[in-house]
Amino acid sequence: MSNERQLIEAAKAGSATAFADLVRSYSVRLLRFLLTRCSSYADAEDALQDTLIAAYRYLYSYDPRWRFSTWLYRIAIRNAQKIRSENVVEFDDICDETSDPLLHCIAASETTNLWVTARRVLNDDVFAATWLRYTEDMSISDISKALDRSDSWTKVNLLRARKALDVEMNRGKEGNEAYG
Amino acid sequence: MDSLSTQLKRDADLIDVQISAELDHRIAASLAALTPERPPEPVAQQRPAIFWWASALTGVAAALVVIAVFNSQFKPENENVPLIASSVPEAASLGIRTPTIDWKAESAMLTQPLRRELEDLQADLKKAEEKVKQDIGL
Repeated sequence: MSNERQLIEAAKAGSATAFADLVRSYSVRLLRFLLTRCSSYADAEDALQDTLIAAYRYLYSYDPRWRFSTWLYRIAIRNAQKIRSENVVEFDDICDETSDPLLHCIAASETTNLWVTARRVLNDDVFAATWLRYTEDMSISDISKALDRSDSWTKVNLLRARKALDVEMNRGKEGNEAYG
Repeated sequence: MDSLSTQLKRDADLIDVQISAELDHRIAASLAALTPERPPEPVAQQRPAIFWWASALTGVAAALVVIAVFNSQFKPENENVPLIASSVPEAASLGIRTPTIDWKAESAMLTQPLRRELEDLQADLKKAEEKVKQDIGL
């Protein structure tokens, strides 16, 4: 963490190399998340690039009281929304396996990915909250900050998402769908 | 960690993504060409309350000085002349002799009680009223 602080300070001073080192560990995770929110792999890559550029440009506004990942995800969510609104592609349009980048990226897996189900049954913000909770181990308050929501909203919707996913997971097991 | 959490974490890891060399290069080039922005200059702070007190006191002091200077410079030309002179010259100062009036009047003597006087006046008033009514034909 202290290393992260040093890299942030160096990046604030204008070191692009320090910033590249800082975000290296986040890039793959961010791209994975953006892939679930964009209509194509190229869009997800563009969103990642825009996110990192915006983060570097406005690094001065980063509040060290936040986790750096929270701040990055907040920017990423906004960029993904922007790219989606520019492309005007609905998820319904990308739900066939040939064009959905998420399905393309899990094609090698022999199991049905629960995140595909999550994207089907949860709305965008609840999906993002669930993702941040279970893949980034973010606290409720960090998720609320990243999504610009209240803590109570986050708590309630995480609980609902969990129930919905439990139901889907059990249904999958009953229907002999392989969930893992 | 429960089964759902484990499953979600594992499924996230199964999403196979890679930062391609081309994307990495693109991002590095974008960052190298960029200069992080500086925080905006802080807006000039509001003046402290003591500033307004100091301004008010300075203003009052200046007003007092102006009043004092004005008063010290103003001296009447002849201090014996009253500042407010009467517009009507007094007769004595003009040497005019005021005529005296010889009043010849006697003080009224009440010969009848006031009650009788009142009754007479009311009777006169009634007569006058009847006369007026006759004149206008009522």
